[in-house]
Amino acid sequence: MSAALLDLQDVSVGYNGTPVLEHVSFAIERREFNALLGPNGAGKTTLLRAILGLAPLLAGRIDYGFDRLASPPGYVPQRDTLDPIFPLTAFEVVLMGTYAKLPPLRPAGTVQRQLAARCLEQVGLSALARRPFWAMSGGQKQRVLIARALAVEPEIMLLDEPTAGVDRQAELAISEVLASLNREHGMTVVLVSHNLGHIQSTVQSVIWVDEGQAVKQSADTLPAAAALPSLVHPRSATR
Amino acid sequence: MSELAQILRPDFLLHDALVASVLVGTVCPLVGVYFVLRRMIFLGVALPQVSAAGIAFAFLGYKIVVGPHEHFEVSERLVAVLGSVTFTLGVTLALSLFERRGRGTVEARIGTTYAVAAAATIIFLAKDPHGDAQMVNLLKGDILATTSASLATMEVVFAVVVVVLFACRKELLLVSFDRDLAVVFGKRAVLWDLLLYLLIGLIISFGVMTAGPMATFGFLVVPAVTMRLLARRMLTFSLGAAVLGAVTAFVGFYCAFRFDLPLGPAEVGVASVVLLVVGVTTRILGALGRWQAT
Repeated sequence: MSAALLDLQDVSVGYNGTPVLEHVSFAIERREFNALLGPNGAGKTTLLRAILGLAPLLAGRIDYGFDRLASPPGYVPQRDTLDPIFPLTAFEVVLMGTYAKLPPLRPAGTVQRQLAARCLEQVGLSALARRPFWAMSGGQKQRVLIARALAVEPEIMLLDEPTAGVDRQAELAISEVLASLNREHGMTVVLVSHNLGHIQSTVQSVIWVDEGQAVKQSADTLPAAAALPSLVHPRSATR
Repeated sequence: MSELAQILRPDFLLHDALVASVLVGTVCPLVGVYFVLRRMIFLGVALPQVSAAGIAFAFLGYKIVVGPHEHFEVSERLVAVLGSVTFTLGVTLALSLFERRGRGTVEARIGTTYAVAAAATIIFLAKDPHGDAQMVNLLKGDILATTSASLATMEVVFAVVVVVLFACRKELLLVSFDRDLAVVFGKRAVLWDLLLYLLIGLIISFGVMTAGPMATFGFLVVPAVTMRLLARRMLTFSLGAAVLGAVTAFVGFYCAFRFDLPLGPAEVGVASVVLLVVGVTTRILGALGRWQAT
């Protein structure tokens, strides 16, 4: 196993054989808090999906410092990708995270239910366990999905735009949950964003994704929070 | 009420038909919930038509190879089951393969399947006058022709399907709700999809053989759509749809018997009335709730 939790070596990713990103090499260490930053359409989500094994590698390799089958990563997708037609409570959604370590045909039992309840508590939503998932606000849904990722008991958590489309209060709540997971529980975090907002002070490393390249650098090199939007949305900044 | 007492008696002449009807009404919604959740309701129209095409093809093949077949013969039922199962499973697997490869749109695939199956059914029947008569009975709902042997076969198949659906509910839910997460978890999403399609194929084949394509489609979709308006949890959704299907099948059977109506349309009619009542009631209650909140 690799010493780093994730080690990308000369990776190219894309769709239908056409690369979106090429020659990407960086490593993610344990307990690190990383942000994948870049303009819309630059390939941040594609890179995240490649790390998760959801998008094929066109070239290169990714070494994982953990057993992906025994202990899969915690994955928080963009909440809009989940269909609201499913009649699921917040608790049922979180319980799905425990399926990662359950063999086929074995139903979730008391242990899994207790774990799901704890994860829901960790994101501050115990009181809403029985509320229908589709009836929750954007911020609440996002926290439920973070709780579901926690129920996997992962070594690393990968989140796709966790604060997109939520109000400032919800953004603050999500940022605090993620910061606390990293600071107090040593969780390695990789999140895709084009606006770090409240989380900027927690981020340790940034992976800039733009023009077919992805480069990792220390968060110390980040400009002040006010200047970030102009870097990731250059067009809007020039208007 | 005398008719109700009559159909509830164990020695009722159409007892097997009643049991078969309630079985179809109970089990079809259990797979129907996945049609609704995966937003592939129109597949519920296309597959029963494919099943009907398979039966017509089997009748035609039997006529060509063996000779004319008579209605109610055991061999005829076996031939029909074989044709129905083969066509339904074959097309279901082909559709899932196309879905995986992302060829064309879902609507185009399902629409084409329906059109081809409907055309094929008519062409096969045009070449087999015996089959034509049977198919008319089938379209009306040939459930009254249910025999003890066919009922026993159906009970075994449906029991297996229900057990597998229950045992695999967590995997089927995960793959249906968040396929990406299932893949991240290392689950073989394609195999779980195939299992679901296999179960759907079996239910549709035996449902069409017993109750006809229209009643099968009705029970696949209408109870699940109705229950979706009421359920807040998956378990309530699945079990509620099954119970609703069973009750509407029974009431539909009673109405058909009491008012001398064709069985399949009577059952679908009852299920549709329930959907209408539930739909209107939930809308009114929702509007009242919003009004009180303001």
